[in-house]
Amino acid sequence: MPDGSRREMAEGGSRIEEILNKLGINPVEVIVARNGMIVSEEETAGGGDELKIVRFVHGG
Amino acid sequence: MTGMLSDAEKERYSRQILLFGEDGQERLKRTRVFLAGAGGLGSAMALYLAAAGFGSIRIVDCDQVDLSNLNRQILHGVSDINRDKVLSAQESLTGLNSEIEVDALVETMSEENIDRLVQSCDLIMDGMDSFAARYILNRAALKSRIPLIHGAISGYQGQATTVIPGRTACLRCIFPRAPPASVLPALGSTCGVIGSIAVTEAVKYVTGTGKLLEDRLVLWDGRNGCLDELACERNALCPDCSEL
Repeated sequence: MPDGSRREMAEGGSRIEEILNKLGINPVEVIVARNGMIVSEEETAGGGDELKIVRFVHGG
Repeated sequence: MTGMLSDAEKERYSRQILLFGEDGQERLKRTRVFLAGAGGLGSAMALYLAAAGFGSIRIVDCDQVDLSNLNRQILHGVSDINRDKVLSAQESLTGLNSEIEVDALVETMSEENIDRLVQSCDLIMDGMDSFAARYILNRAALKSRIPLIHGAISGYQGQATTVIPGRTACLRCIFPRAPPASVLPALGSTCGVIGSIAVTEAVKYVTGTGKLLEDRLVLWDGRNGCLDELACERNALCPDCSEL
């Protein structure tokens, strides 16, 4: 999770965008890695997948 | 600018010539870098680019120095307040290294002028503070096939990656949409971490040493002292790079 915490979820192949919505996370502010690889929110995740949700930064 | 090193340059760069030889140093000397931004990240990038001996640095920024910049924008000092940032930058950089050329442009980067701004440059460094500006840089890098080294920061956090047009994920593949604009906290030492990573990428790219951050996004979490990395890949449907 963006705050560094971990959460177990029983998901049977949901779209990542739906998972983010369920967690109350704005998809525009994060990137999501599925098993270490950054993927689009259109992709699905479930089963034993590990999702890492990172709030990326844009300052300079 | 020729690539041959003078005796003074051989002395100045002697410790890094141990790393990549005179040939590597000559390559740095022949390299023209486009640096977008003379803010926090741009300051760290610019100083290390200059110190390393990149022969030509074209730095672009439209802002003037403000007192609230000085916690992180180490190119500038109190006496530079209200001056154009790039002019202050030019003075700092040539003061650090008189062997290099610094081209200072007071301009706002846009779709209209970006092709002219990056023309004849070999490398683009991203020291911008918004994704709107980064997408302009990204498209210019892809169009001109110039590598783009990305960095961004907020507070204790930062990220970096290297885009090689046609070979790696581009910025739009990794960050398809810009996050909402906001005023972010900024710490000079975070700019230092990410700026240093970015210049290390530039040095490796030019000298042909090491392993670049290709298709890898490095994430720095200074609050917890953690460095993480995520893999990425080209998006076949990317609106910016799928045609390459």
